[in-house]
Amino acid sequence: MEMNDKDTLTIVEHIKNFARRHSLFVLAYGTGCGAIEVPPTMTSRYDAERFGIVGRATPRQADVLLITGYLSVKTLKRVIRTYEQMQNPKYVIGFGSCTINGGMYWDSYNTIKVLDQYMPVDVYINGCMPRPESVISGFIKLQQLIKAGKADGWKKYQENLDWYRTNQKKVIKNWNMPDYNW
Amino acid sequence: MSDNIQNLQKSLSERLPQCSVKIRKHGGVELNSSKENLVGVLAHLREHFGYRHLSHISCVDWLEQNQFELVYILWNYESRIQLFVKVRLARENGSGISIRHLWPQADTYEREIAEMYGLPFDGNENPRELILEDWDAMPPMRRDFDTRAYSKEAFYDRPGREDAKDVRSVISGRSGEEIPEIAIPYTRK
Ligand code: SF4
Repeated sequence: MEMNDKDTLTIVEHIKNFARRHSLFVLAYGTGCGAIEVPPTMTSRYDAERFGIVGRATPRQADVLLITGYLSVKTLKRVIRTYEQMQNPKYVIGFGSCTINGGMYWDSYNTIKVLDQYMPVDVYINGCMPRPESVISGFIKLQQLIKAGKADGWKKYQENLDWYRTNQKKVIKNWNMPDYNW
Repeated sequence: MSDNIQNLQKSLSERLPQCSVKIRKHGGVELNSSKENLVGVLAHLREHFGYRHLSHISCVDWLEQNQFELVYILWNYESRIQLFVKVRLARENGSGISIRHLWPQADTYEREIAEMYGLPFDGNENPRELILEDWDAMPPMRRDFDTRAYSKEAFYDRPGREDAKDVRSVISGRSGEEIPEIAIPYTRK
């Protein structure tokens, strides 16, 4: 975030954030049970497009990565790769108790429990599964954070890349992915 | 229907005297084979009894007897009677016999069993991994695999939530929120 001498956001940054928060392009990707709640959120009944929330097909076009539920180690590898391919600024929303503390998979041998150990999460939505209303309220929360210039998970990721990498490599044993250096 | 099952049991015990055949209480016929006879028995059932369809191969871990049991579930489209062919194998250093030449789809089940139970199949050496990726601990479906201990070891816990207890009162205390009346009976103090 660009700051001016009074340590507040510059006008340019305000304008950028305005644009960012009203065009949240979501990557059409789902894991776990939660992906089921996304179609009703997007379609006519709850109509998330009112808030500028639109689906996008590829990581390069998307701003928001939804982690819609439990992540197995195998999926985590793909999710990290997807996340690193997305353009800055990018935001992550964790859906459901599985991303927060493991949920009902807290003692499973193959699912991670705390998502923010592996990638930065801007907003968590609790529930098992969160209903479309709470999904939308999570997005609103994200918009507020962007407005305040606080949704900076992507920066934290770049700054603490080593810490994240150590955690990621602890569970992903065969790390055969390209290294992005932005 | 029960006549059909009785006839099937009779003709099976006549044609396959090396196996014990019995009628299951909840439908279907069960046939216990030895490992040596297994492929011959399955081929015979397929050619002469109309069991052309392999529904599933499942594996049971008899930890106390130190054995694995493979259950081949077959289906006959004409008589509509399910057949369970069971075979017991040694648990340590044992191996099954691949039946990929009889049913190509057996490959998937054999890969799964090899991965989840660590039971190799002769004739299906070094199968590709199916569900897990780069797994190097004990095969997770074995009964002596402790999934809770493994997940404690491998993954992080949310601080304060290691015990996975009800936290409604703690959360409401933190945020000053009142617990709705309807939830009070279900809240631990
Ligand atoms: S939080 Fe519940 S609904 Fe969501 S992925 Fe986990 S088990 Fe499924």
